[in-house]
Amino acid sequence: MKAIRQLLPLLVAMAALLTLFGLWVPNFLQPENMLDLVQQVSVNAILAFGMTLVILIGGIDLSVGALLALVGTTTVYILTRNPGETQNVPWLMLAMLAGLGVAAAFGAFNGLCAARTPMPPFIITLSTMLVARGAALRFNEGRPMHIPDYEGLFLAIGNGRLLGVLPIPVVLMVIVFLVMAVLLHRTRFGQHLYAIGGNREAARFTGIPIAANEIFVYTLCSILAGVAGMIHTSQLYSAEPASGVMFELNAIAAAVVGGTSFTGGRGTMYGTLIGAIIIGILDKGLNQAGVHFSSQYIIKGLVILAAVYIDVRRR
Amino acid sequence: MNPAATAERPLLALSGVTKRFGGVLALDNVDFDLRCGEIHALLGENGAGKSTLIKILGGIHRPDAGQLFIEGRPVSIHSVADANRLGIRIIHQELSLAPNLSVAENIYLGREPGGLLGLHRGTMVRDAESLIARLDLHDIGAVGTSVSALNVARQQLVEIARALSCQTRILVLDEPTSALSQAETESLFTTLRRLRREDVGIIYISHRLEETLRLADRVTVLRDGRAVATRRAAETDRAELIRWMVGRDIREHFHRPPHKPGEVALRVRGLCNPKVHDVSFELHYGQVLGLGGLVGSGRSELARALYGVDPIYGGTIEIDGQAVVIRSPQDARRCGLVMVPEDRKREGLVMTESLAFNLALPWLRDWIAACLPNRRKRRDIIERAIAGFGIRAGHPEQGVDTLSGGNQQKALVARWMEHRPKILILDEPTRGVDVGAREEMFAILGRLVESGMAVLLISSDLNEVIQSSHRVAVYRDGRILRIVPAEQTSIEQIMSELTGGRADEGN
Repeated sequence: MKAIRQLLPLLVAMAALLTLFGLWVPNFLQPENMLDLVQQVSVNAILAFGMTLVILIGGIDLSVGALLALVGTTTVYILTRNPGETQNVPWLMLAMLAGLGVAAAFGAFNGLCAARTPMPPFIITLSTMLVARGAALRFNEGRPMHIPDYEGLFLAIGNGRLLGVLPIPVVLMVIVFLVMAVLLHRTRFGQHLYAIGGNREAARFTGIPIAANEIFVYTLCSILAGVAGMIHTSQLYSAEPASGVMFELNAIAAAVVGGTSFTGGRGTMYGTLIGAIIIGILDKGLNQAGVHFSSQYIIKGLVILAAVYIDVRRR
Repeated sequence: MNPAATAERPLLALSGVTKRFGGVLALDNVDFDLRCGEIHALLGENGAGKSTLIKILGGIHRPDAGQLFIEGRPVSIHSVADANRLGIRIIHQELSLAPNLSVAENIYLGREPGGLLGLHRGTMVRDAESLIARLDLHDIGAVGTSVSALNVARQQLVEIARALSCQTRILVLDEPTSALSQAETESLFTTLRRLRREDVGIIYISHRLEETLRLADRVTVLRDGRAVATRRAAETDRAELIRWMVGRDIREHFHRPPHKPGEVALRVRGLCNPKVHDVSFELHYGQVLGLGGLVGSGRSELARALYGVDPIYGGTIEIDGQAVVIRSPQDARRCGLVMVPEDRKREGLVMTESLAFNLALPWLRDWIAACLPNRRKRRDIIERAIAGFGIRAGHPEQGVDTLSGGNQQKALVARWMEHRPKILILDEPTRGVDVGAREEMFAILGRLVESGMAVLLISSDLNEVIQSSHRVAVYRDGRILRIVPAEQTSIEQIMSELTGGRADEGN
């Protein structure tokens, strides 16, 4: 009940935006267009789910956008070294595991630094963002790496449809959402995060292992960046070392519009999901309405500001 | 100057000043006056109202009733800026210098000489040098030195120079000697005596009675928010001051639970870390060991070291005769030792969450298996805590920040009791709670002890420590001076040990 009351303003805002663009843009509310919208939201939503956990414990992760590019290049690099030059499922698995492994290593490093040193997470992840971006740009001299056409399974991650209807990215987003919602709202781990974010000292005095939780949160956030990286790379039909720029900021925006508090301790997965959808509607709606991209930035900035202002005032 | 004339019209006078915080009367109809060129000491136990009085002078609190006069004119102080304008400067125990800036920059912080084109560094340095010369504060050294390079005593002198660089008439010093050595204290006193010449009135606050009597012209004792006596320092002595500070028969009574000590629950030998020096004691089941000491004596640091929050550098801890290694609160809980920290809001409760969240938090394992929260078990844990410890709340899911201090404190104790710990450390369990909740707190303590729990009680209220403990450890500067049976000691005796000469001088 409490959760619904908190989400109500967000749902109202979402409905209002849908109505607005429904009136403004012909065929905006057509099912196919809506499905397309959700598919475009999926990468940002998956990043935002991880970001929500990090912000919830009072941290921030600026490295996810660059990491997304690095995961893409790592995976495609290995994929194109496939000796058989036909689809080879074990080799594909290897390539994807390597990509996710790189993501997990970066996340564990971020978490270790955040938990065991007094360095602020902003600076730690700013640095690892640069490292990850540089590492991604070392692949193929920074040029896009094409995914061979025979890698049907990998291309399906971003472009396929389940039963010919549901886009695979949407299916993945829903799965990640469910797992993360259960993790945050129904496990000891989730309770620990609310305690740590609400009052770190009190959590410590209660006997909650802060460092272990923190390291896990950053690792999880990076692994989700890896998953988003697979989808994004597949959607582009190539790994682009320069992709993912500003994705971290979009993810932060989704979490914050969804009611995640920057001071920590407040936020839900439901809120973040709706936050990501609201930003997605805005992006797609303004685009289809033919608003110049310069104005799109300005409008988006003002909408985020207004959303957060209303949220802060309500408390 | 003519003493009779200044006595008629004091520099500063407080008349009938009263301040209430919720149900607590922090200051009760206090009269106080300060003359030109006088050092007037303000004494009292922790919580007697000294800091409230300072905060009223400094414009941080406003009195509910009463009037302030400066040189006979009624004034009202609404802000720190007002206080400064009226010539009142407060030097707090925690110094407020910018360590990265130089002495001169600190003295003129916020009012640097200069124009549009920037700082007149030369003017600032010259002004600072002439100020220091005028005030005879040469110990500070070169004005270009960075403040972080100075020791605490010199930093204090910089604060004094800063205070006197603007038109300060009333200088308030809160526990200025707590971090100073004997020699530094003497040199500070020489400085303060010299300042009397400048027609400055000084209010001096300290726990150390002997040095206060040597320094001050007059002494006022506060107790329970009332000014109980004002005397010329030459006409009183330590014993009399302690009697006034401690008072008699006006305190409430706590009932000490019957003393039926069982086996040794906790044995600590030679515990050391930077704040705790070679502490050894034994605590039995069914016993309360009170740690009597003043604020800042390092009692909380001992508790934090035992609970695994702060590291231990040396010494051993035994629980039930078994040596244990406690590196974190998780370790401590596993050994059956829990702690209720001093600062409810900072270390105790997750204030952004509900009462229920806080009560259920230590026992997540009992009600969440994998990803299946058991709402019924959670509710039972919460209800047992609320009912068992008389926590008054409208609804368990209400925000814990909406509860009274007493109920928050009860919640903090109650949440450890789902599975009874062997040893409970209570750090200042009655701070900021009203009299009724205080009684309830001690009733709870009595019940737990009678059921066989071992309790280490920390409180700044010596009356409370003596009346509710079986044994009292006199604690000062990170050391246990001695441990005595509670019935064989008195507040006067302990107070005298805590306020006498320094412990490191072989007290």
